[in-house]
Amino acid sequence: MLALTDIAVRYGDRDVLHGIDVTVAAGELLAVLGANGSGKSTLLRAAAGLAPTTAGTVTVDGRTRRNLDIALIFQQIHLVRRRSVLDNVCAGALGRLPLRRSLVPALFPRAVREEAMACLDRVGLAHRAHDRAGTLSGGQQQRVAIARALHQRAPVILADEPVSALDPAAAEQVLALLAELAHAENLAVLAVLHQPDLARRYANRLVGLRDGRIVLDGDPGQPVDSLYPSRALQEVP
Amino acid sequence: MTLPTVASEAPRLAVPPKPRRPRAALLGWVAAGLVVGAHLMAWSATEISLGNLVAGWQGMARFLAEAIPPDLSPQVLADSVAGALVTLWIGLLGTTLSIPASLALALLAARATTPAPGIYQAARGLLSFLRAVPDVVFALIFVTAVGLGPFPGVLALVCHNVGVMGKLWAETLEDADPAPAQALRSAGAGRLQVASHALLPSVTPQLIGLLLYRFDVNVRSSLVLGLVGAGGIGFLINQSIQLFQFDQMLTHILVVLVLIVVVDRVSAIVRRRLGSSA
Repeated sequence: MLALTDIAVRYGDRDVLHGIDVTVAAGELLAVLGANGSGKSTLLRAAAGLAPTTAGTVTVDGRTRRNLDIALIFQQIHLVRRRSVLDNVCAGALGRLPLRRSLVPALFPRAVREEAMACLDRVGLAHRAHDRAGTLSGGQQQRVAIARALHQRAPVILADEPVSALDPAAAEQVLALLAELAHAENLAVLAVLHQPDLARRYANRLVGLRDGRIVLDGDPGQPVDSLYPSRALQEVP
Repeated sequence: MTLPTVASEAPRLAVPPKPRRPRAALLGWVAAGLVVGAHLMAWSATEISLGNLVAGWQGMARFLAEAIPPDLSPQVLADSVAGALVTLWIGLLGTTLSIPASLALALLAARATTPAPGIYQAARGLLSFLRAVPDVVFALIFVTAVGLGPFPGVLALVCHNVGVMGKLWAETLEDADPAPAQALRSAGAGRLQVASHALLPSVTPQLIGLLLYRFDVNVRSSLVLGLVGAGGIGFLINQSIQLFQFDQMLTHILVVLVLIVVVDRVSAIVRRRLGSSA
């Protein structure tokens, strides 16, 4: 379980997050919604340890967060496009491998490569293992990034707008996969989204942020209009 | 029949005058003045004299008359080709043997991969030093250590090339897309793992392109090294000049021309193929 307690973040003289409390249970997909500048990406970065917090704690299964406890999935995917799909997934294991067994892909132990294949199979891309990552479609690349996150064996996955760069069909596939993995693998998944309709369909719970404060928390079916300053100006689907 | 023109019907809007920036204009004039001043100083310091060039045309004509036609006898041609091959090998080894040190220093001298600011500064300083010392000076130093021949040429090129290639590679690493590195760092990868699994593979075509460019430059540099006793066809050219055998010198220069063109073409083809596969 991921628990964010009383998280506050300040950039310069501006408070971006004001004492946020959020928990994500194992097996749960939590969607975080909010307008641009509401603090949702900062919340995710604070949870990942990428944004300095001025107050609060982040724990995973009751322990203070360690890097290996949290796997990240990014909007722009962040694969090494020239490397094979399999090598990209194997990179998820780097944090637990000694340097002598991981300096170059050829040194990866067989067990690591076979586990990577199983992760790729989990996201339906085992048949593309030896293709260059850059030759895959955007949706497939995001699924490879999810396989890499699985290979990290982290109990928590944080996804920062994981479908914003994808077409609607690929976005559906990726969100469905994240929801299915959260349930089947008992992972705590927190996804920052810009698509309320996808959040309604795939999340177990929805948190809405406005001006750095939680204004909604609960059933994903609840109305989210209050999160956005004006329906006329909002750019969400 | 005349076609209707749409230009006269298209809406127009007066272009507003550019805002005046007197400070930028003054800086521009100062910069132009400095550039002109530097050129005047350079002209004077290098003793450029078009008069001397015109007055000495007979000397050049005599030199060319003795060089043409080139001596294409089999013996001279064979010596020339053998010398050109030695020059090629000096350039090749001078490039490839510098790879490990260049890579190590590039990793230490790139902000994304250096372990500490002090090490970054030290690596940058060492690269600047190796770059600042000309390869000819390295060659003269190594000739005194290991004697005349191609070996000091290789050593000289390795030393100078580490400075140049290390800096070029470090800057390529600094310009690499930071996103994959961030992803691996967040997955718990260490500095060397990030370098070998994210940064280096992202910029491999650029690194190889720079390597080939340096090979091209090093083959040409190894010619000059031959003039100071470091072997190869440069040594033969120097020998021909000292013995007043200008027809043989021209033969060597023609062989050099062929060598340079071939290296340049091969290097360009490989770089293009790398670019298309990136």
